[in-house]
Amino acid sequence: MSERTVQVTVNGVPHEASVEARRTLTDFIREDLRLTGTHVGCEHGVCGACTVLLDGEAVRACLLLAVQVDGREIRTIEGLATGEQLHPLQEALRDCHSFQCGFCTPGFVMTAVALLEEGATPNEEELREELSGNLCRCTGYQSIVAGVAEAVQRVNGSGGTAGSSVGSDAQRVEEISR
Amino acid sequence: MRMVGAKVRRVEDRRILTGNGHYVDDLQLPRMVHAAFLRSPIAHGRITHLDVADALALPGVHAVYTGADMQELCKPIRSPLAQGAVPEVFPLVTDTVRFVGDLVAMVVADSRYLAEDAVGMIDVEYDQLPVVIDYETALDPSVPPLFADLESNVIHTATKEAGDVDAAFAEADRVIEVEFSQHRIANVPIETRGLVADYDRGSGELTVHAATQSPQGLRLQLAQTLDQPMDRLRVLTQDVGGAFGLKGNIFREDFCVPIASRQLGRPVKWIEDRNEHLMASGHAREERITAQVAVTEAGDILGLKAALDMDAGAYPGLPFSAVAFTGVISLLMPGPYKIKGYRCDSRVVATNKATYVAYRGPWAMETWTRERLIDMVATELGLDPAEVRRRNLFEGAPEDRLITGPTLAGITTRECLDKALERIDYAGFRKEQEAARAEGRYLGIGMAAFIENAPGPKEMRPGGGFTGGETAKVRLEMDGRLTVITAQSPHGQGHETTLAQLAADEMGVPFDSVRVVHGDTRLTPFNIIGTGGSRAATWGSGATMVATRKLREKVLAIAAGQLEIDPADLQIVDGVVSPKGVPGKDIPLARLAGQMTLMPQTAPPGTDPNLMAEERFTGEETTGSGWSGGVHACIVEVDLGTGGVRINRWVVVEDCGRIINPAIVDGQIRGGVAQGIGQVLYERIPYDAEGTFMAGTFMDYLLPTSAEIPAIEIVHIEAPDDDGVGFRGVGEGGMIVAPATLTNAISDALAPFGAKVTEQYLPPSEVLRLAGVVPAGA
Repeated sequence: MSERTVQVTVNGVPHEASVEARRTLTDFIREDLRLTGTHVGCEHGVCGACTVLLDGEAVRACLLLAVQVDGREIRTIEGLATGEQLHPLQEALRDCHSFQCGFCTPGFVMTAVALLEEGATPNEEELREELSGNLCRCTGYQSIVAGVAEAVQRVNGSGGTAGSSVGSDAQRVEEISR
Repeated sequence: MRMVGAKVRRVEDRRILTGNGHYVDDLQLPRMVHAAFLRSPIAHGRITHLDVADALALPGVHAVYTGADMQELCKPIRSPLAQGAVPEVFPLVTDTVRFVGDLVAMVVADSRYLAEDAVGMIDVEYDQLPVVIDYETALDPSVPPLFADLESNVIHTATKEAGDVDAAFAEADRVIEVEFSQHRIANVPIETRGLVADYDRGSGELTVHAATQSPQGLRLQLAQTLDQPMDRLRVLTQDVGGAFGLKGNIFREDFCVPIASRQLGRPVKWIEDRNEHLMASGHAREERITAQVAVTEAGDILGLKAALDMDAGAYPGLPFSAVAFTGVISLLMPGPYKIKGYRCDSRVVATNKATYVAYRGPWAMETWTRERLIDMVATELGLDPAEVRRRNLFEGAPEDRLITGPTLAGITTRECLDKALERIDYAGFRKEQEAARAEGRYLGIGMAAFIENAPGPKEMRPGGGFTGGETAKVRLEMDGRLTVITAQSPHGQGHETTLAQLAADEMGVPFDSVRVVHGDTRLTPFNIIGTGGSRAATWGSGATMVATRKLREKVLAIAAGQLEIDPADLQIVDGVVSPKGVPGKDIPLARLAGQMTLMPQTAPPGTDPNLMAEERFTGEETTGSGWSGGVHACIVEVDLGTGGVRINRWVVVEDCGRIINPAIVDGQIRGGVAQGIGQVLYERIPYDAEGTFMAGTFMDYLLPTSAEIPAIEIVHIEAPDDDGVGFRGVGEGGMIVAPATLTNAISDALAPFGAKVTEQYLPPSEVLRLAGVVPAGA
């Protein structure tokens, strides 16, 4: 099988590797670079678990070949926290109990990072639409929407209205009758 | 501060949010090779020719195994819990394929790429056999059985009868008969199945890293089939990317991969792709019930007769087959309602489809049937469905009993119903609905109730039920930290958090000082289920609590001896033992544990310096009714232009006893409701008449997204704090009751058209057919 040399920067670190032409970007990231935070859920571009940032844009790594990213820059979930300091998005998702099993998590996180970095301030309906390209089977999505909304508010300010509406819902559901 | 009841941030989240989780596919071992399977493209056929020579000759291929090889390398698979007629089965087929996706051969190669290349080079021919794809064919005694060693494709029949069913029907003003059908769906965790088997030729030890709900169940089954000594058989499970019942099963692939590792003396990895997963991992829920309900004109439900058929697919599930769930369905079907007579006849059939597996509340057909029936009774009698429920619901009085036996003392279904209807403003909605109909808009409201024996009243679980309860181990480390070793095996439920909350409170140590260990069969106590059946909050919690209490007693005895004081006068707060109200006599746990470990000979007389406790919890300390349950209500709008269903509101009123972590409980409920919504509106596993599998991608098998699932409002009926184990299971309820709630709402919306919802799958085409917009069969 023919091999090609690929030069790619991942989370700020330059890599050069010889890869088979048919090798997927997910296998390259996970197995060759040993960055296993990016997950593979469907290998046909629907579930979004493999989402990474390619030159700042959220893409599905399972639909790309490693040779296609030659000369480009990739960011994965491993690149978000600074040492022990979580990214504000990670903090917000943690505070909101956004995830359960964690398998879809890297995809949602990278999709949401791209959204935050665009400076977006979506309302709840827009946010649900923005996140609808990622599948989660555990949560019913409400906690993820709340977590991303919280991060939008913390990072991009109160321009976002999703935070307030989901937040108030989060309050409503807190009622515990004793 | 007490941790139980608080919305504590999850221990698991830092690692999963930073990409530092450890899922089975993340594992890379030295010398590891990769497996891929050749699967049957046809539903039923005899293999007439199988030639693996070309595949074996491909450079980088280490081995190719066929069914004949497996007959040499292992024993037939037998479940320790087998029920019903069980055929002799090997990990790979020996001569006949029985569903699309059945296992014909396995290739092991240097990479998954090469392994798949080699799979494509295997030469195989089949002689097609007639397929058994529907109930009628499966029930036809003239059709040959799928397995030559079984007499019939009917693998199990049973009858449960309670009360005087004939008298109840004789007394009735009317008998309403309905045929309900629930379609085949799939669990579809976002992580597929997979395992890495690592046989060490030096020690003879087989280590299996698996994405499983039950490491000990897998170990037991591997020991049996592979004839592997259990002292040299270890199953390790770290993070698991969802399961919902599926990964409580042991699969035929789970035998193939370790067998290859043992033969080759090197680690072998197999990670299923999504197409294999949808086709062959297992399917759930395909059942039908013909129900007859005997009622009075006033709306009293007198009797219920049900005939249940369940499609188990080709092979028996391991360790629990479909047969196991017919018993639960027939036990729970009458639910929290008073009836006088009841009969349920069950049949389980084998067909040329993928194996039936448990999926979150596998018995949910009972709730859907009952709650749909109640709405149909209300429609037929011209009564309000809420009133029919109120009229027939038990109060939870001491003498109340499910007609099938168990006490219902203390159930809160009636309170849940009232609160749900109040919350959703039932009366207000009926006015809104009427006004909308006048404008040609079709709104509907649905409600449904469920109860689940999680763990069930004490009389249902003598000695700890069929597993004999559950065991946990707790160890005080030399630095004063606490290690909890649980038999649970979480896959998203957050047990590293909830069990640590419980242990921290019981011991008197900070939450951050507790580590919960799971998923290593060298350490973890035996539990054949692992995590499943809503058992963690009940059995896992109870075991953690009694083991921690035992350890605390040991610690207090030692401290009491050292201080020459009665243990009852001691307290442990923030990891420090001290006499109540006497300052200056503190003994930090780290000092006590360090001393007892390094110098056990200094332990006060009559005390035990081994600061480990292992206790079996048999449910003695369980408090409350034992019934988890609740009522859901939702409001939908049906678009007669598109057939689309929009869910405007979803209200949950639930009772799971005391709550350990409200955020985790709410997450379990919402996740279950989302799956129930998917089941009704989007998800279906289709086979054609030839048994061809028709949903091999996520473009064919649709999962709901954040754009389809509504905000879900939750109200808890919480039990008061007591000293016991007052927590009840909450994993399955949302999924059990959501399909009933949603189909009742859609039915209500379509009431002006006289729609009768008896099929559970309601995609736009079916909604339009029910509304008469398109003709039946279109």
